[in-house]
Amino acid sequence: MLQFIAKRLVAGVVALFVVACLTFVLLYSTSGDVARNIMGDQASAASVAAKAHELGLDQPLMSRLSSWLWQATHLQFGTSWFTSQPVFTAIANRLPLTLTMVCVAILLIGVVATFLGVTAAVKRGAADRAVQIMAVLAASLPGYIVGIVLVLVFAIQLRWFPAISRIGPRSGAAVWVASLTLPVVALMLNGIAGAAQQIRSAFIKQLEQDYVRTLRSRGIPEREILFRHVLRAAAPAGLTVLSLQFISLLGGVVIIESIFALPGLGSLAVSATTQGDLPLVMGVVIYTVAIVVVVNLLVDVANGWLNPKVRVS
Amino acid sequence: MSAAAVAGLSACSGDAPAGGSSASKEVVLGILQEPKSWNPAIAHVGHLLQPYQFVYDSLLLRKSDGTLAPMLATSWKYTDDAQTVLELTLRTDVTFSDGAAFDATAAKANLDHFKVANGPQAAMLQNFESATAVDAKTLRIKLKIADPAFEYYLSQAAGLMGSPAAITGKDIDLMPVGSGPYIMVKDQSVKGSQYVFTPRKGYWNPSLQKFTMVTLKLLADLTARVNAVTTGQVDATLLDATTAQQANAAGLKELSWPVDWQGLLLFDRDGKVAPPLKDVRVRQAINYALNRDALLKNVAMGAGTVTSQVFGPESGSFLPELESRYAYDPAKAKQLLSDAGYASGFDLTLPLPPGIETLLNYVKQQLGDVGIRVNLVAVPIADYQSTLGKGTYAAAWFSLFQGPTWVACNQLIVPSTLYNPFKSTTPELKALLDATQAAGAQVGEKGKAVNTYVTENAWFAPFYRVNQIYFYDSKKLKVTPQVQMAVPTPYDYEPAS
Amino acid sequence: MSAVVDDVSAQAEPGGLGGAVKRPGVAGRLFRNPMGTASVLLLAVIVLSAVLAGVLAPHDPARATDNVLTGPTALNLLGTDSNGRDILSRLLFGARGTLMSAAIAAVVAILIGLPAGLLAGYYGKWFDGLSSWATNILMALPGMIVLLAVRAAVGPNIYLTMVIFGVLMSPGFFRLVRTATQSVRNELYVDAARVAGLSDLSIMGRHILGVVRAPVIIQAAMVSGIAISFQSSLEFLGLGDPSAATWGVMVNDGFRNIYRQPLALLWPTLAISLTIGSFVLLANALRDALEDHVNVKEKTSASRRPATVAAVPATVAAEPVDAHLCEVRDLRIEYPQPGGERKTVVDGASWYVDRDEVLGIVGESGSGKSQTAFAVLGLLPDNALVTSGQILFEGKRTIDTASRRIDQSALTGLRGRRISYIPQEPMSNLDPSFTIGSQLVRPMTRILGISKSEAVTKALDLLSAVGIPNPKRTFSAYPHQVSGGMAQRVLIAGAISCDPDLIIADEPTTALDVTVQAEVLDVIRDLQTELHQGIILVTHNFGVVADICDRVAVMQNGRIVEQGDVRTILRHPAHEYTQMLLQSMLVGKPPLTRLMSDSATGGMK
Repeated sequence: MLQFIAKRLVAGVVALFVVACLTFVLLYSTSGDVARNIMGDQASAASVAAKAHELGLDQPLMSRLSSWLWQATHLQFGTSWFTSQPVFTAIANRLPLTLTMVCVAILLIGVVATFLGVTAAVKRGAADRAVQIMAVLAASLPGYIVGIVLVLVFAIQLRWFPAISRIGPRSGAAVWVASLTLPVVALMLNGIAGAAQQIRSAFIKQLEQDYVRTLRSRGIPEREILFRHVLRAAAPAGLTVLSLQFISLLGGVVIIESIFALPGLGSLAVSATTQGDLPLVMGVVIYTVAIVVVVNLLVDVANGWLNPKVRVS
Repeated sequence: MSAAAVAGLSACSGDAPAGGSSASKEVVLGILQEPKSWNPAIAHVGHLLQPYQFVYDSLLLRKSDGTLAPMLATSWKYTDDAQTVLELTLRTDVTFSDGAAFDATAAKANLDHFKVANGPQAAMLQNFESATAVDAKTLRIKLKIADPAFEYYLSQAAGLMGSPAAITGKDIDLMPVGSGPYIMVKDQSVKGSQYVFTPRKGYWNPSLQKFTMVTLKLLADLTARVNAVTTGQVDATLLDATTAQQANAAGLKELSWPVDWQGLLLFDRDGKVAPPLKDVRVRQAINYALNRDALLKNVAMGAGTVTSQVFGPESGSFLPELESRYAYDPAKAKQLLSDAGYASGFDLTLPLPPGIETLLNYVKQQLGDVGIRVNLVAVPIADYQSTLGKGTYAAAWFSLFQGPTWVACNQLIVPSTLYNPFKSTTPELKALLDATQAAGAQVGEKGKAVNTYVTENAWFAPFYRVNQIYFYDSKKLKVTPQVQMAVPTPYDYEPAS
Repeated sequence: MSAVVDDVSAQAEPGGLGGAVKRPGVAGRLFRNPMGTASVLLLAVIVLSAVLAGVLAPHDPARATDNVLTGPTALNLLGTDSNGRDILSRLLFGARGTLMSAAIAAVVAILIGLPAGLLAGYYGKWFDGLSSWATNILMALPGMIVLLAVRAAVGPNIYLTMVIFGVLMSPGFFRLVRTATQSVRNELYVDAARVAGLSDLSIMGRHILGVVRAPVIIQAAMVSGIAISFQSSLEFLGLGDPSAATWGVMVNDGFRNIYRQPLALLWPTLAISLTIGSFVLLANALRDALEDHVNVKEKTSASRRPATVAAVPATVAAEPVDAHLCEVRDLRIEYPQPGGERKTVVDGASWYVDRDEVLGIVGESGSGKSQTAFAVLGLLPDNALVTSGQILFEGKRTIDTASRRIDQSALTGLRGRRISYIPQEPMSNLDPSFTIGSQLVRPMTRILGISKSEAVTKALDLLSAVGIPNPKRTFSAYPHQVSGGMAQRVLIAGAISCDPDLIIADEPTTALDVTVQAEVLDVIRDLQTELHQGIILVTHNFGVVADICDRVAVMQNGRIVEQGDVRTILRHPAHEYTQMLLQSMLVGKPPLTRLMSDSATGGMK
């Protein structure tokens, strides 16, 4: 088991390294006029050139990449070109909010989608059709539409929740709950039905296994078969579905945070992209991929633990 | 938990703005852009000056009518006829938030710092030669050449005074250290989200400390600002004509004043990338082809004034007769194009920044109607200014504030400015500019000749002066707009009660 | 949204249960589904309107007018946008850019995923390792964040962005094609093709592409929907190309003017949602057509065909006082088909079995013998209908003739307690997540009501009784740790653990190696001699029948063609089908080799 974890960990680090190199080359091979953007319209050509030198834009790409990688191993990801803030600090300020949203959303998705998926798989019929219809609807509505509708109805019309986030560094739990309810709902709605549908197929696949029939032939009650055996057997597939959902939520927050003016990683990604703040864009990519790597590792470990073949050997 | 319960909870938390409460004079302002750094030398104009003014005093104070008043300097005057030596008398009772005292040495250090720090407004001190601390309360500034805008600059970014020890330090990017009325509460301020300020104890001018707490909330998106101000989450913010109706319906008070002019800058007066533009008749044809009234009505819902000149009414060089110099006349435009040898039109590429597509689609349509085939090329907002400065495009749309005469000349007309990428000039124009720069108090009068020259030669194709439309909750606030400023300065807000 | 629907790969595998009913092609089945028809029609309309935009559009979509954000009028049926342009015309023309984006993403994803999947699945080796590794990295990338980075690097270029998005979506196709290729590669007909001298390339082209075609179309529909969603999201954020005429740009314009004219946001939103929805529905309908779910249920059926039930009153009335252990009378099992017809799998079978007796039911696969066995166990699929006949266990009916289904309340007390089951595939019939011991103990505590420690003792005895050399070790092992022969012994132990009266053994030796087969049959025979249960042994193998059975029933196409004493039938088969089966047993089998591995004593792997 330890060897298994170590292998996955190494694979994750290698993936992170590859993504970092590709992203760096992609971003920095085209960045030309950043110094002018930073210095503004009134700055002289000389001061723009000085800024370009200060940022190392006149260095060869590969030497910049290697120095970035070296610094990254010390958790230094450079400084934002536009806010003068270390990338590490900027992201550290934003991360708790985004992670809170994504984790709450994924937990709720996990619970609700499992309930819906299992119900659909076991009852079939109307419940099944309802989940399928919901899944089609949810897939048809891009995240921004859901976000806009929630704001218009629950914030502007009904005034139950704030239209934009009220969260500051010292906000209490009540402010967090009030400010995050709509965003989390918007995030969830897109994922829930799709996840339910996938959990449904995973569950049905297990229900069709031979051993389920054998368990029934042994006189084991249906409820026990479903919850002790089938649910357990479908869990790895379910966890994989949720880990894919997690990745998609990390993308979904980009839209939702922008609509609700939430100071999270997603809105940071948008503003950094808009401004061309490449160190920040780079940092956001690395952080999100690192989060995904960690989540996938956790899922792998959980699946390994659930699978006797891996656990016992 | 039901949604209603959550809402109730948040109402009890005291976090919501307590509308109209007289006890807590707190204000939340929605802002469009945030400072890149708190280094006062990095301060900008308009939206990017206001935040600095909460924490930094400037040498001179610009009042809402545009006149200059004492602030850190109690008096100032040019001591020579050539207007190149400016002597300021400074206050002696002022300290910075790190405890250091403000004096002439500190003021000199700030000006020197601004000059070398290469901030976005570094050009404000392009004519600054040196500063001398004559004594603790006397600062003498020497200019290379007369600069009619210099006193104005001392009320703007170039006049912001930070603690000399702090402004060269590493922390200044993230934490301001000034002598201003408020200090920033660092652990409640998050870049990209909000900045919180509280009054500074022992400030020399308590009359500028009108609030117990000021929060600046960054809301770059217009719809987010509408939602925030109509639901009371911010007390005041800048909107535009298209959203005014929504804010008025919510019972907010509207302020409206002209600041920017919008239009095309016809850069390529020498025909380097678009040969047709070399011909003044072609540039004039573009002006005649524009139906400015339709643009104003369709795009800005009529909230502004159509114009053919780039100098604003308060600039000093405004000429009423130039307002309608190029009245809409497509037949004349076609005639001029034909005279210039472009009877069958020509192709013109314009850069298109995001959010301006509505306006430029109309421009494309109107120019197309006289035979000028406009091709719009999307340019990301981050690259827009640099793209203009590189001379890639023969002409471009922009929205620029209408400063006093020499500020406007420096921004738009002199060969060294970014907005003159092909460095166009003529001997005639150079003479007019030199005369204006040296005119002292007559700067506005002399500038009128510059105005006439660039308008007659169609250096630009202005559309209109668009109104800034600012909304605030009049139950909580009283706000006065400041002329030529995109948003009111901190000194322009006060509690309603 | 971005979660790639991954389980389509399962459908790529060929095969599935062949039925007697003629099945229409995938396309035919797609159009039988109203959702499939609707989605294809909608997409056709959308594509056509994009192609014919020049003819259909009432106005020049680029013509700016002074009628700004008007809302629907006679002139502008859907109103105008912030430039006073006709929204209907812009929607028609905008479909081009939006559909083109989707097409680019899907085509790029297929161009990368399909060949890579083919190569990885067909040749394997280092390329498989490398491409699977790259795929895992791609799947770990949050699409939206990557697109933002691309946008930061290359600027607002929607088509280039969609190319990158296609790369991000390629793992879905890669996995699909790779799985399908791997499973097809080793199929016999591919071997045959290879022997016939076909090149690898033509094998891939002819056999494998045929198999993956439909799943690739499904995935392409999904990817197209996701691409439209992502692309319009970028444009909504203002990161698109504002000069492009796409629906996302219209959404952006509508959102900026949401308070002036909400309809300007509604129309493009509707167009986007309908298009994505059509793609998703198309994918779902295609998948259903491909799976061809036989799982069609009929609602309560008594009212619909009462005649069938009424047709057999004579049989029901004649219940003997002295009942057999288990008796099946005139049993008929049918499955409803999507078209409304029914497929008959058991057609009027009658037989019985008594205590201390082994009844063999012999037939080829598809003859209905297993269905009969499951009917006795009450484990037929939900949609199975028992349209006539009755099953009696010690004279007690287990078929509810009114609902034409198994009377589960009657069977709950019997299953596991009185009737038990030995399945065919030993490995797949043990839950891999639980130890063998726990799977033996649980039914005993449940059915016999004994304590856990008693059950453990009994389980160890049972394991030893079925000939497992080291019961303790097997007891605490997981199924994957024992051999197939051992697992079958475990299942036999499980079947007798609650002292049943009737054991139904469904091909209990088929999946085993020849040497092990004989040993397992020995175990069953020894146990039966000792415990005197009745056994129903379902098999296709007359050798097994000869070895163990007392009586035999021969089934063909759901009917019993002949039954009686084993010796009689083996010596004098009356029906020609029986004769044929007997012959094939003698001539079709290779001579038994006793050299095969995995002997009964080498239990633990």
